[in-house]
Amino acid sequence: MAISYILLFILSFISISRFLVISKAGAESELVADLLTLQSQSESGVIHLNDRTVSKFITSTKTPRPYSLLIFFDAIPLHDKSDLRLPVLVHDFALVASSFIANHNGSNTKLFFCDLEFRESQSSFKLFDVNSLPNIYLVGPDAESLKDDTDQMEQSGFTRLTESLVEFIESRTQLTVGPIHHSPIISKKQMVLIIGFLLIWSPFAARKIFAGETMFHNPRIWLSGAIFVYFFSVSGAMHIIIRKMPMFLMDREDPNKLIFFYQGTGVQLGLEGFMVGFLYTIVGLLLAVVTHVLVYVKDLKTKRIGMLFSVFVSFWAVKQVIFLDNWKTRYAIHGFWPSRWN
Amino acid sequence: MATMPASASDLLKSFKLKTKQQELLIRVSILCLVYILAFITRLFSVLRYESMIHEFDPYFNYRTTLYLTENGFYDFWNWFDYESWYPLGRIVGGTLYPGLMVTAVLIYRILRFLRFAVHIREVCVLTAPFFASNTTLVAYFFGKEIWDSGAGLVAAILIAVCPGYISRSVAGSYDNEGVAIFALLFTFYVFVKAVNTGSLAWSLASAFGYFYMVSAWGGYVFIINLIPLYVLVLLITGRYSMRLYVAYNCMYILGMLLAMQIRFVGFQHVQSGEHMAAMGVFFLMQVFYFLDWVKHMLSDTKLFQAFLRITVTSAVAVGGIALGLGMVSGYISPWTGRFYSLLDPTYAKDHIPIIASVSEHQPTAWSSFMFDFHILLFLFPAGLYFCFKRLSDATIFIVMYGLTSMYFAGVMVRLILVATPAVCLISAIAVSTTVKNLTVLLRSKNKVVQTGSTKGSGGSKSSSKALLDQSQPFQKNGAIALLFGAFYLLSRYATHCTWVTSEAYSSPSIVLAARGAHGNRVIFDDYREAYFWLRQNTPQDAKVMSWWDYGYQITAMGNRTVIVDNNTWNNTHIATVGRAMSSYEDEAIEIIRSLDVDYVLVVFGGVTGYSSDDINKFLWMVRIGGGVFPVIKEPDYLVNGEYRVDKGAAPKMLNCLMYKLCYYRFGEMMTEYGKPPGYDRARGVEIGNKDVKLEHLEEAFTTSNWIVRIYRVKPPNNRW
Repeated sequence: MAISYILLFILSFISISRFLVISKAGAESELVADLLTLQSQSESGVIHLNDRTVSKFITSTKTPRPYSLLIFFDAIPLHDKSDLRLPVLVHDFALVASSFIANHNGSNTKLFFCDLEFRESQSSFKLFDVNSLPNIYLVGPDAESLKDDTDQMEQSGFTRLTESLVEFIESRTQLTVGPIHHSPIISKKQMVLIIGFLLIWSPFAARKIFAGETMFHNPRIWLSGAIFVYFFSVSGAMHIIIRKMPMFLMDREDPNKLIFFYQGTGVQLGLEGFMVGFLYTIVGLLLAVVTHVLVYVKDLKTKRIGMLFSVFVSFWAVKQVIFLDNWKTRYAIHGFWPSRWN
Repeated sequence: MATMPASASDLLKSFKLKTKQQELLIRVSILCLVYILAFITRLFSVLRYESMIHEFDPYFNYRTTLYLTENGFYDFWNWFDYESWYPLGRIVGGTLYPGLMVTAVLIYRILRFLRFAVHIREVCVLTAPFFASNTTLVAYFFGKEIWDSGAGLVAAILIAVCPGYISRSVAGSYDNEGVAIFALLFTFYVFVKAVNTGSLAWSLASAFGYFYMVSAWGGYVFIINLIPLYVLVLLITGRYSMRLYVAYNCMYILGMLLAMQIRFVGFQHVQSGEHMAAMGVFFLMQVFYFLDWVKHMLSDTKLFQAFLRITVTSAVAVGGIALGLGMVSGYISPWTGRFYSLLDPTYAKDHIPIIASVSEHQPTAWSSFMFDFHILLFLFPAGLYFCFKRLSDATIFIVMYGLTSMYFAGVMVRLILVATPAVCLISAIAVSTTVKNLTVLLRSKNKVVQTGSTKGSGGSKSSSKALLDQSQPFQKNGAIALLFGAFYLLSRYATHCTWVTSEAYSSPSIVLAARGAHGNRVIFDDYREAYFWLRQNTPQDAKVMSWWDYGYQITAMGNRTVIVDNNTWNNTHIATVGRAMSSYEDEAIEIIRSLDVDYVLVVFGGVTGYSSDDINKFLWMVRIGGGVFPVIKEPDYLVNGEYRVDKGAAPKMLNCLMYKLCYYRFGEMMTEYGKPPGYDRARGVEIGNKDVKLEHLEEAFTTSNWIVRIYRVKPPNNRW
């Protein structure tokens, strides 16, 4: 009898424990299914969490959880602060999320991308002990305390978020992200339309070119384009674009004063470049005007005044540029005359 | 004896030259003077210092040239260099442009044949000035081709002293650009000549010029994109001609076949996206020719137009499909990062930090243009205007060359070099035309008739029209004043160029010069001291680890194997060195042992105040090391984002290998009066860790001004 009791006990224990396992697994698969539906509802695949869902998916579940959560901490009021670059980061995060989902054909149940907004989920921010933005945390399957067991991404990674995020995910979760699908500048439909348009348009264009009737046959257009390219290059516009230089600076000591010229080679401000570029251009153009336009003017007085005007303007421009250059580079350029001349 | 005076007077009589001959004599003598001027103005560096190779890359070129002279061409072609990139080595023959070396060796052989006992180093030092002289000749002929011989002469004079070109061609800067600018301008000149004449011979010459350019410099990509662009513009503006057809087809096909003989280029020339424009224009030319032929055959215009529609549509479609298929199948490789960064300049900054970090690749500020072109910048728009007033195939070419290269010069500082010939030519047109108009005005009273002979350029035409109006008073005085103004400006240009050449572009950067307390010149020759010490005091097979900047110099002058050098082809290897330099000593020693390193070399400017030393480059080592090995983190070396070496520096910084090697025993040293010992003059602070102790390395040699410090790696203890 005793043996049969023991047997019964063991049997019942096994069945109960099996039932427990099943129920736990059932709860887990329900959570995963919930996450999957939330993910499919979002356009980019980033699940929007709030205090309630944080407790549902993270704090009130037992470890180990069958999934990891990658959480981006966002604050909409801070979106207009340009030095935080939050909108760019949100976009990059969504890009990685959608690429990850697409690369796993939606069959991924190990990692979910989420975001939290500060205003609606302040207590979750406290749980993670997040005081500064931007911030990304990875909540692993075994994380119990959100303060201590979670992985925080390095602040240095935010400068090139897509690449460093991929690295971060791959090193911490052992999942591969795969290639990032940057959205093309023009979609496929637009591409087809453009190609079709080009095909239809090309014979007409070819005919015009053969006949010599296009605006490309007008030297004036080419000339103005040429002068523009010249102005664009020598004014250092490329420098301004690449380095994102401001047009002018505020004087730190006197906020009402503006600084237009920056001393030091290799760096320039926006307006400074355009001013000097204008000075560069004006001399050559005046020379051209004097030799090709002014000579046709009938009135002698106008001719003379125009001549004198352009001579003085050219002289002033050259002098000004050389002065500015010497000031900027701090070079004192001098000739090498025989020493007894001094 | 009696006949002598008679014959002498005959001789004198025969010297009475006609005007044409006088002009020729003057022109030739000016050209000779310019030729000499271009050479001697580049000798400042030899006079100031001595005849030596400059900077970093030229040392590699010098070393390979030496190898070529000693072992012959085939050994050079198959050379596997085991002295660099230890333990990987480098296939030298397949990874360089051999044009420069072959040229230098050729000059050397010719001089030897003529019984001039020169050393190959002297040939290498003077190659760049010699080619700069040749460039002035090409500039003269080019100017003559696009405008007239006066413009050619002015162009030759301007380019002889233009700082934008001198910066890369002073004596001692034995680099690819020295010969490449000559090759570039020569190719362009001969191609324009071919387009103007339609002669097969000239286009053949341009194909060979292109071949020389490909063999000399990677910048040949500029040619193979500019020429198709030019042809395309001519096609669009309705300037298609048989001359163009002959010139381009011959140049493209032959040039392509020749270029593919250079191993470093090889099949890239037909496969890579950068060369596809040339091929596309080549096919477009055939379509144009075909259409022309059909038009000729079909007399009916309506029929021809219908035909035109069908052919153009199908041609565009076929071309697009072919390109798409090539891209998809991977047969045509997409554009490289460098090419992208030229087209979309913001690309490099966001995507390729290695390109963005090099100082030569920075975008140009207006002051750099002023520094390198001076007065030419003001004349450039005027020259452009004159070119547009007298449009021809040749002026269209120079305008396109000028504008594209100007744009690229705005994107990258180093490309000012490519723009220089174009700027000189276009400005020369402006100078020459203006001066000619003014002088014609001055001489008008005596020889009114002669004004008609000035080839009727746009400028002189209008001035001769103005001449007819003789009633204007002060006309001559005004012309004289303007002429003086022009000459004043040009003399300022000459002064500027001479000053810039002498003070800014002639320092070899391997020997440093500074002004002493009494204004006297002090020379620091520490680099060579260190390299010769390596050569004489270390075993033949010793491996030296240093940051990659000094790799070429160590192999060339010290004749020792290095781990990394300036040919930065393997990022991981460089990152390994960066990691070793930025780790603690006991971690670094494992990397050092795994690389078989015997000596570690660092460059230190704390004693002399030399600012481009390893401590200032150290953050790049950390960044590049951290890019491959994430254990190295940049914030560990910074304090609140600030880079410091004094007491407030980050603890990791104070104890990393680079810091220890640079500041070993420095804490005991007085560098400046009134400052505590261990005062770093390059950064102006007292160092934070004065008690540096080394465990696995020992000091082997420190040069007299402490600029180079060499440490020996101790063998492992055999008992512990």
